[in-house]
Amino acid sequence: MSEPWINQICDQVKQAAFEQRTVQIAGNHTKVPLENGFEEVSLTQNVSATGIVDYEPSELVVTVKAGTLLADLKAELAQHKQMLGFEPPEYGGSTIGGTYACALTGPSRPFRGVLRDFVLGAKIIDGRGQPLAFGGKMIKNVAGYDVSRMLAGSKGSMAVITELSLKVLPLVEEVTYCKAIPESDAIVLMNKMAGTTLPLSGCAYYEGLFYYRVFGEHPKQTDVTACTNDIWLTLNPFKPKLQAHQKLWRVDTEGPAPSIPNTLAVGMCGQRRWVVSEDAPAEYSTLWQSYFSPRHNDTSPIANIKAGLKNVFDPSNVFKTL
Amino acid sequence: MNVIQELKKSLPSGSVISDKEQCTPYECDGLSAYRQTPLAVVLPHNIDQIITILAICKRFNTPVITRGSGTGLAGGALPLANGIVLGLSKMNKIISIDPLARTAVLQPGVRNISVTQAVEAYGLYYAPDPSSQVACSIGGNVAENSGGVHCLKYGLTVHNVLSITMVNMAGDIIKLDEKDDGVDLLALLNGSEGLLGIIVEVKVKLLPKPDTAQLVMAGFSSVSACADAVTSVLEQGIIPAGLEMMDKFSIMAAEEYAKVGYPLDAEALLLCEVDGSFDQVKVDTQRISTILEQAGATSLRVSQNEAERVALWQGRKNAFPAVGRFSPDYYCMDGTIPRKRLAFVLQEIEKLSIKYQLQVANVFHAGDGNLHPLILYDANVPGQLHQTEKFGAEILKLCLDVGGTITGEHGVGVEKLDSMCHQFATPELEIFHGIKNVFDSTGLMNPGKAIPTLHRCAEVGQMHVHNNQLPFPELERF
Repeated sequence: MSEPWINQICDQVKQAAFEQRTVQIAGNHTKVPLENGFEEVSLTQNVSATGIVDYEPSELVVTVKAGTLLADLKAELAQHKQMLGFEPPEYGGSTIGGTYACALTGPSRPFRGVLRDFVLGAKIIDGRGQPLAFGGKMIKNVAGYDVSRMLAGSKGSMAVITELSLKVLPLVEEVTYCKAIPESDAIVLMNKMAGTTLPLSGCAYYEGLFYYRVFGEHPKQTDVTACTNDIWLTLNPFKPKLQAHQKLWRVDTEGPAPSIPNTLAVGMCGQRRWVVSEDAPAEYSTLWQSYFSPRHNDTSPIANIKAGLKNVFDPSNVFKTL
Repeated sequence: MNVIQELKKSLPSGSVISDKEQCTPYECDGLSAYRQTPLAVVLPHNIDQIITILAICKRFNTPVITRGSGTGLAGGALPLANGIVLGLSKMNKIISIDPLARTAVLQPGVRNISVTQAVEAYGLYYAPDPSSQVACSIGGNVAENSGGVHCLKYGLTVHNVLSITMVNMAGDIIKLDEKDDGVDLLALLNGSEGLLGIIVEVKVKLLPKPDTAQLVMAGFSSVSACADAVTSVLEQGIIPAGLEMMDKFSIMAAEEYAKVGYPLDAEALLLCEVDGSFDQVKVDTQRISTILEQAGATSLRVSQNEAERVALWQGRKNAFPAVGRFSPDYYCMDGTIPRKRLAFVLQEIEKLSIKYQLQVANVFHAGDGNLHPLILYDANVPGQLHQTEKFGAEILKLCLDVGGTITGEHGVGVEKLDSMCHQFATPELEIFHGIKNVFDSTGLMNPGKAIPTLHRCAEVGQMHVHNNQLPFPELERF
């Protein structure tokens, strides 16, 4: 038997489908403002949609309702000396559901993995208003298609995410070092360092400085300066001051790829570049304005697959189409 | 002209095997209890030939069963009598290695161990290490989302794949990349068991080879004490590179086989390996030794050099063949449970062993709760295979009852179709069928595997009855 708040959302979705209306799923509106013409499916206005469902630190797994604030989740994990390995950006009231929907991963990505790598299971409500469960709470589970990982990044277009089970990691002590070198040298250096056993958990280039973060036992670092860990909060989320006419792009690249003109910051062993540009500066570029715009550069077969999957989960187009 | 004639006409000489005797080696994968000779075996050398094969099969409505090295343990590559086996063993080239980016691009038939061997000179390695890694192929690893001893720390195959190029039944070449936006199709392809597309190229992540690794081996007087020790290690914030458990029978069998010095008086054995920098390993080894002593270990041994570490692993790595020496046949199960239920589940398995009068050896990846009970049986005794299958199904049901899953790393294949009906209700299965239809509307890619038909689940009796509305009311019930 589903909880009342789940039933409420199921009914809301069914009603919208019946009336051929479209709804927009929202957490705390920290990433996507509610657009005119859409009815909101809210995960935070109902207190029942927030909170930790199940957490046993020795299992390295937490199950949490999608409307839970990231800050609350992180605080609970920290009490047990654990953390979210994907280091999600905090936009001020961000929810775990919204973070999952946007597949947001922080500076530790090359070393610990992306958000979906930590997803073990998800409970959702599809476009028919059906509550469904995929995956589970197991670190190893290969039964059926991996729908819970697939939906990471679906941005509310396929289903309402109501609950997530995530793998967590032990909280580690981290220290940051920096030094001044040219950007292109830093990109090569960060990749060379990532190929060693130095226990890195972050590396970046910003305003003329190469930063790297190390955890656990490690050799004494030479020719560098010890810095605070604040730089990782500057870069995650990255919110530079821009002129009104400027466009900020997030570019996902191969790590050691050459520098891109007008780059403001380089992160994740070069796998992420923040670039000011009028047009898309590279293949995997996402326009990164005040909210998350989807990238529309899928080739035909992939676009067809995504459209087909949208139809499987949401045949009546109840959820906002990207 | 039939499908075999058309394939022979369109492909280079030697690419098509249709002689029944020559097809025999392809009649099963690692799950040899199920066998079926295919219509033909086709061994392409490149993507163009795969596209040709698919076009012909589509025209003749012939099912396509993709096969890597045939080491799968769930019957995922079991042929159909009216289908071809598409073997990818000839597409076994390492296309490129980028040491600075720490990536390698591989054809699907590349053996798992070959990747690590090829990049060793750069101080790198490929982390996922299924027990069959000397033989199994990367394409098969992706199709099954394979795991291994190092999963807890380094993840499954899905965590180590950066892009996949696949060919669908329409002959489209589709590249899925971790940098793609929107729904994560790359994650979906991992573990799709050959139902969604033919994987023709894989880009994998390479990791720096650890400076060192050290193994701590501890014996315990009870399984529950050993299980509690596992919990203590993880609670203390240590993620070992490997954390394996064996029960008394497995210890005895492995020691007799490998003679590595396992404590024969122990009821359970824990093998805990840490790796990384010299400094970190030194600290972690000391901490783990203390934790295991406090958890009541009756014996403790720390590997003093690389040769000793490798030797101590030999018992565990050979546990399956070692146990196999005690019986003509054995059946390896693959369920996952919450670690805290380990002692209870083992007690229940013992009860089932008495019920079915079949001996069981237990080997598990304790760090991630992945059990591998080995049920010993004799296929020549009439009815014993059937009893073994029933026993196995009950073990999987037990895994579900304690909040686990029916497969941690082997996949569903044909083996666990009925158990899928226990794990998933009709609405979820309908979504699975919908996904399959998006990728393969012909239904010709590995039909009958991984996802049970709703009809089958109705027959198994695990129907999801919603609002008192019986699904498929037209079906006769017994």
